[in-house]
Amino acid sequence: MNFLTLAAKNLLRRQGRTALTVAGVAIAVAVLFSLLSFNSGYEKQLNNELNSLGIHILAVPKGCPYEAASLIIHGGTIPKYLSEADIAEVNKIADIEIASPMLLHQFYKDGKPHIVYGIQMNETNRLKPWWKVEGRFFSDDETNVMVIGRELAEKEKLEIGDVLSFGPDGVPFTIVGILKRTNTPDDEVYFVPLKSAQELFQKPMQITAIAIKVKDISRVFDVASKLEEIPDIQAVTTSQIIGTIMNIVGSVRTLLISVIIVAIAVSAVGIINTLLMSVNERTGEFGMMKAIGASEADIAKLVILETLSISVAGGMLGLLVATAGSSLIEGFVKNIIPYAPAGNLLSFQPAFFGLCFLLSITIGLICSIYPALKSSYMTPLEAIRSNVNE
Amino acid sequence: MNSELITATKLTKVYRRGSEQVFALKDVSFTVSQGEFLAIMGPSGSGKTTLLNLLGCLDKPTWGSLKLSGIEISDLEEKKLVKLRRDHIGFVFQQFFLLPTLTVKENIELPLLFSKRKENEKAIKEIIDIIGLTNRASHLPHQLSGGEMQRVAIGRALASGPTILLADEPTGNLDSVTAETIYQLFLRLNQQGLTIIVVTHNPELANIAHRIIRLKDGKIIDDGVIVGR
Ligand SMILES: Nc1ncnc2c1ncn2[C@@H]1O[C@H](COP(=O)(O)OP(=O)(O)O)[C@@H](O)[C@H]1O
Ligand SMILES: [Mg+2]
Repeated sequence: MNFLTLAAKNLLRRQGRTALTVAGVAIAVAVLFSLLSFNSGYEKQLNNELNSLGIHILAVPKGCPYEAASLIIHGGTIPKYLSEADIAEVNKIADIEIASPMLLHQFYKDGKPHIVYGIQMNETNRLKPWWKVEGRFFSDDETNVMVIGRELAEKEKLEIGDVLSFGPDGVPFTIVGILKRTNTPDDEVYFVPLKSAQELFQKPMQITAIAIKVKDISRVFDVASKLEEIPDIQAVTTSQIIGTIMNIVGSVRTLLISVIIVAIAVSAVGIINTLLMSVNERTGEFGMMKAIGASEADIAKLVILETLSISVAGGMLGLLVATAGSSLIEGFVKNIIPYAPAGNLLSFQPAFFGLCFLLSITIGLICSIYPALKSSYMTPLEAIRSNVNE
Repeated sequence: MNSELITATKLTKVYRRGSEQVFALKDVSFTVSQGEFLAIMGPSGSGKTTLLNLLGCLDKPTWGSLKLSGIEISDLEEKKLVKLRRDHIGFVFQQFFLLPTLTVKENIELPLLFSKRKENEKAIKEIIDIIGLTNRASHLPHQLSGGEMQRVAIGRALASGPTILLADEPTGNLDSVTAETIYQLFLRLNQQGLTIIVVTHNPELANIAHRIIRLKDGKIIDDGVIVGR
């Protein structure tokens, strides 16, 4: 027999109480681990996603920067439009490599929003060179054709050659291509030639936004300020979009951190309470142990080992739960944050496992100090007397 | 023959109860030789437990001197006291104090955990045989009767091979028939050379002892060797 088995066997005496304490630690560790993982995963994914849009700047009608941010991510409409003249102005700016105008239209089918992008396929292909298509892309002077995203095709059970009708007059459009999966919002969109879209939705010569790629990424802000010299235009850079979103996420995070601090405090109080109860119950036993040769250090060691067993078990359980339940946690998180990119929001890193584990051990050690001292400084006499009813 | 194991000279123990001083022991002097079987008797509150705790190095006297195998313990530091308890003292309590999740054998081995000695399977088995629980080594305390539990506690006190066995009302929680088996066990151990000091209210247990010290109000009122034993 060694101290560890002795400690473990002691804990098994009060299984219910031990289990509750372990659960308390597990919850705190799981929450902490999820937050750490979320934090790093979220920012990574957000960057990924916005970069994969291939856009450095979005030129939108003045006065709608936030609508523009959400538009670029969710789709949607802005009540204002840019004109063809604005495109001409934009194209005059030297550092711009690609300026791809688009017209967005949103309609509802079965209560769900559907998004139609009117685009210039040539420009778009340059902007998103990774686009691959099953079937074919359309060319810009074609009419009544469309390319759709993979996800959309699967959801709506659409195939190449299917014909859909759009707009108030029910104009038929034939699907000529389905995009290969991109894991971006593009997967859920209908793409039609810009001209067709303008006719269809009765917005002749009008566009919602111009997606811009600059030649030299370090000159993004110069280009943005030149764009803003055009009277109608407001320029929103992707880093601004990320910044805006991260700001909102930041406030959510602050909330979560306070939740975690509370969870950790509660679990610490739980451990201390459990230990004090079990130490108090066993004063007679500790006295006996001293009488049969245990030193103060032996008793303290026993109490510390018991605490560590609880916190290590709780830590491992918490990490296990957080890892196993990551999809649940992710679902929860996606509901409470303003913008959730597709893909994994939680990024599990070995360092986080280590950190959380270390934290649970630290909690255990700190919590065991007082009970350990209390039990070890008790003289055997007091200890034994407290159980005697003479 | 220098066989004096314990020499107590004017042992005094004062407890503080608020502003009041309680003289639990007052100028108690006596000696105990190797191999004695000593019973300490006296009414409740007369200082029996206090005396036993001093003898077991669980507490220090307020005044007076106490020598164990020639070593003065009244001014020994805690570390040395721990070592003395480990190597020389076996303690048995009225309320057994077995650890409920440990088996009979594990309970008996417990002192070895603290003295960092290797468990000697043979010695442990011998102890289990002596206390008469050969077939119950792997049982848990709740499966045992009171008398069996006390025998386990005695086995535990024997595990580190003590020179003195101290027992504080070891049969206080047992019926008279069961108590008798405990006396017999003490007697056998004593016959094998173990020095035994028992605090008891029980005249029958006192009867098998060599000598009875009677305490009253912290003082020895009678110290008599029983002739013929
Ligand atoms: N820790 C203590 N604090 C104060 N008084 C004590 C303490 N221990 C014992 N006493 C007192 O000392 C006296 C002797 O106690 P004790 O040795 O336990 O007697 P016994 O074992 O003979 O019943 C009693 O009056 C008791 O109340
Ligand atoms: Mg007593």
